[in-house]
Amino acid sequence: MTLYIKNYSSYIDDGLDIKKELKQRYKIDTRRQDRFIHLAVYGAALLKQKCEISANDELYLTSGVGNIDIVQKTNTYMFEESEALKLFDFINLLGNTTSYYVAKTLGITGKNIFQISDNFTYINTLLSIYSSLRESKKDAIICTIDLISNPEQSIKRVLGVDEETKVVSSVNYQKLSLKKEGAIASIEFDIQSYSLDKLKEKIDMQKAFFSPRCSIKKDTDFFETIASYEVNRAIKERRDMVFVDCFEDRYKIIKSKNEKLY
Amino acid sequence: MASVNILDFEILTSLGDAKQTISSLLESKSGISSKEIEVRIPYYAFKDKVEQNQESIYALLQNIVAKIVRKLDKEDRKSTAVLIGTSQIDWNLVDAINASAYEYKKKPYGSQKLSIDSYAKSLSREFGLNEFTMSINTACTSSANALLEAKNLINAGVFQKAIVVGLEVFSPIMSSGFYSMDLISKDLPKPFDLQRDGLVLGEAVGAILLGKDESLWSIEGGFSNCNSQTITAVSSSGEECVEVMQNALTNSALHVEDITALKAHGTGSLSNDLAEINAIKKLFCKSIKFTALKPYIGHTIGASGVVEIAMLQECIDQGFLPKTLFCEKPILIDFAPLKEHEKCESGVFMCNYFGFGGNNTSLIIKKSDA
Repeated sequence: MTLYIKNYSSYIDDGLDIKKELKQRYKIDTRRQDRFIHLAVYGAALLKQKCEISANDELYLTSGVGNIDIVQKTNTYMFEESEALKLFDFINLLGNTTSYYVAKTLGITGKNIFQISDNFTYINTLLSIYSSLRESKKDAIICTIDLISNPEQSIKRVLGVDEETKVVSSVNYQKLSLKKEGAIASIEFDIQSYSLDKLKEKIDMQKAFFSPRCSIKKDTDFFETIASYEVNRAIKERRDMVFVDCFEDRYKIIKSKNEKLY
Repeated sequence: MASVNILDFEILTSLGDAKQTISSLLESKSGISSKEIEVRIPYYAFKDKVEQNQESIYALLQNIVAKIVRKLDKEDRKSTAVLIGTSQIDWNLVDAINASAYEYKKKPYGSQKLSIDSYAKSLSREFGLNEFTMSINTACTSSANALLEAKNLINAGVFQKAIVVGLEVFSPIMSSGFYSMDLISKDLPKPFDLQRDGLVLGEAVGAILLGKDESLWSIEGGFSNCNSQTITAVSSSGEECVEVMQNALTNSALHVEDITALKAHGTGSLSNDLAEINAIKKLFCKSIKFTALKPYIGHTIGASGVVEIAMLQECIDQGFLPKTLFCEKPILIDFAPLKEHEKCESGVFMCNYFGFGGNNTSLIIKKSDA
């Protein structure tokens, strides 16, 4: 299965005050929102600067575990401090609240889905998008987002990583289409997952990039949707890439091709 | 747009399983009881209490999905995806937070990949289903949207079949949230009634098996969008609802006159019902038979997409369209929900879901004549 990338945006936490940036540079109202929403909206604002978004583009948001900050906040209010739940905390607790603010930022009024897959959440969302675009003949925007909570240990406990693993917040977007026209890159993916032996037969292991989740190479800070970030990095660096994502000894391949090279 | 068939379904509501739920509907019985949050609120609870933890919730899912998969052979199962629609709190996150964030609750470090989708992953493993799992959270439209996504995956040839699950179990956080928004009724949900004063939440779980095998029931099409006026409500004129219903018809290559009856979202809340009834009037102009199922089982949020479709199917299979309970003085006299059960054995049915977070979904299902 192939999807074409029309444009992209990427942000990996570098200490920027995102709320301030949204207010001052992008004139976006940040009230009633939290850090997870701010990060998602920031990525959307970066994408909007770079490409045209149609109101009918389909929007898909995916994440490793979702907005852990708001779960912690509401949990603390209700069960630790016995306080009443605050109205906008309740609203922000719903997964699609983040999607709503992203849709408003991008001017999208069409389909808007917030979904999480325990394994391969980026690739599985690409499968959903591919299937949806075949029916709708539209384009889609994918937002992949992971926000590190405080304390970091909370999110590490549900990521299935060692306590020493370095984790980082990141948001990555791609505008996707089934049409090649105007594409800057393409991504090829499949439903198939492979054992390590089969993987070795399928790809050149020396040249491939691996998710830090794979035990083969560990040289990057981790977040669950890192595959999406690596696709964007390959486009930015004008190179083709084979990326391997891993979950419990099963491997999936994403091939990213820079269309501008050809 | 190609349809997909509904091959099987199972539900559990405050009234019991599918047969028990429909037999209560026939007798106009509601499953309402109550729950304690800051105050006592009306609530539609399961007869057997389900604890707020992963093990109890998984046991509930396991029981429903076991009934669905028993007709699938090993090969079928390998090409069957699992999608869950829910607005349920992720108890895995709560456990991780409790173990890390509060000094007195701290536990030694341990890590396992978990998320709200872990239920689907466990179901996939236990029943030998495809490793593709997905959990969708778009509030009240969650499992309705999961049905549309599953339909797309099957039509694209990615999977042969999909099990779509709707899940909602009592959560004090969700109930307190609705209560803080002043959306909970004092006693009963009264969809489309002038005296309505709010919704009543409920627990339910349901599963629908989709595929291309022969069946009298199908999902003809549908539409989902995010165009609400605000994050919590559509405009009272119902323009956004008209748009989603009209697009669902277009997507299914159908016209208003093809619709036999409508299953309304019908929460009983002041603004949502007003918007929906205005939309129904705008779209159908003259008249349309319609009903709301929430007075029987409550507003089951993320589960409502799957559970209300399965309930409607079971009613039609038993030869009737159910009446709407508790609506005595309709908002619009010319557009009142069914006052009595009505004979109906087949037809084309529109099913509406209008929710928080701006998401609105309309599905069109069909039962062909036997």
